[in-house]
Amino acid sequence: MMPISHFLLLFVGAALINNILLTRFIGLCPFFGISNNMGTALGMSAAVVFVMMMASTTTWLVWKFLLFPLQLGEFLYIPAFILIIAALVQFVEMYVKKYSPALYRAMGIYLPLITTNCAVLAAATEVAKPGFFKMAMPYGYTLGEALVYALGVSVGFGFALLTFTALRERLDIAPVPRFLKGSPMSFITAGLLSLAYVGLAGWFGL
Amino acid sequence: MLKTILIASAALAALGVIAASMLALAARKFHVEVDPRVEAVASALPGANCGACGNPSCFAVAESIVGGTLPVTACTAGGKSVAEAIASLMGADSCDMVAVISARHCGGGTNAARVYAYAGVQSCNAVSKLAGGSLACSAGCFGYGDCVRACPFDALELDDRGLPVVDIPKCTGCGICVRECPRGQISLLELVPDCAPVVVRCNAHDKPKARKATCSMCCIACKKCEKECPEDAIHVVDLLAVVDYSKCTGCGTCVRVCPQNCIDVYASASTDADGTGNREVLVLTVGE
Repeated sequence: MMPISHFLLLFVGAALINNILLTRFIGLCPFFGISNNMGTALGMSAAVVFVMMMASTTTWLVWKFLLFPLQLGEFLYIPAFILIIAALVQFVEMYVKKYSPALYRAMGIYLPLITTNCAVLAAATEVAKPGFFKMAMPYGYTLGEALVYALGVSVGFGFALLTFTALRERLDIAPVPRFLKGSPMSFITAGLLSLAYVGLAGWFGL
Repeated sequence: MLKTILIASAALAALGVIAASMLALAARKFHVEVDPRVEAVASALPGANCGACGNPSCFAVAESIVGGTLPVTACTAGGKSVAEAIASLMGADSCDMVAVISARHCGGGTNAARVYAYAGVQSCNAVSKLAGGSLACSAGCFGYGDCVRACPFDALELDDRGLPVVDIPKCTGCGICVRECPRGQISLLELVPDCAPVVVRCNAHDKPKARKATCSMCCIACKKCEKECPEDAIHVVDLLAVVDYSKCTGCGTCVRVCPQNCIDVYASASTDADGTGNREVLVLTVGE
């Protein structure tokens, strides 16, 4: 049994120190695309947490019981994982539509949007494929570790997205020089925000 | 080598078949009945998901139209033909769409007095920030043509008095000039129905005497137009003549009686609706 501190470190490392948006720059399309409104950003964050957990669990199982035993992992992991994630998201969308219309309305448009989001694919690959990313354990993750790691990545995604959205909402009413209004200001803000996160690099040896 | 290829193909095919059958099953088991009108309305929409109306997709618009939160005229890009198709699907007999065009409420130009000689950046937005602008009139047109440069359709140009003139067939009613104009918010430039027969070329609400001292073209609130109008379509409101386009028939009485020549003949009936193509932009009412 792993000590609880191990999982805590894994979570903090995935969420903050190796933040998927701001230190690794994966999944930047929604980061800029839907960060102008707190409501939609919250919906997207919730959908990402949900999908990332599901996708990581599934890819972990597929790696463990199909790709690794057949020695196909080295070259087949991207098509296989894309296929799994796409099908899974479709499935989940149908399920949610049928049994929870309220939840479907809340994250309806974001579910299909993140079907092939690169952040989801990255997290799902990292938990499944040993040695894919520096945080991977040499022996590969256990299922418990995979879940904690996926939770950490998605919470980090949501945290960064919501921070950025809050900044952009304030910038909308701030007296920004006209030539910087809109995208230029967003890029500068994102850069400064990223700088803050990069400052965490190397903590706890993660 | 061949064996690896075969295993890989087989494994991927197996994954695909499993995923596909799972989805096929789910599609049946989790099937949700949708209002058939949503499908019908969605197919009547252009389907380009252009986003001009401000909604994420044409399908979302269809859902909102059927749900009653958007009018049948919601599709900006589709124009009148699409709106009519949707209106018939939704059981509304007809729909009234009124196109809009831009109109300038100022006739000053070179006739308007200036309080200082401006020699800076030739831009209305720049001059308006220097002590409220160089014009003596608090509501008139500066004439540096910010609206002309902003117009994406080349529908505006400055005339010899330095006032923007709208080329009505080219104007789409997008309203960019109104947003660009530093005095757009006080309706120096304004969107009016594209069949607006007359336009009042003044936008000031100062006392008529003070106004007349700053400009030879201004409305002096004499109410001659109001008294003479046979349709009760023009009124002096807050010291300025204002046309009610729902009543105006374009008889031209006000243009003739105005002692200041401050009311102009504008869009004639021949330039409206069908003659000018895709101009059904602003949504007004939906007939039952």
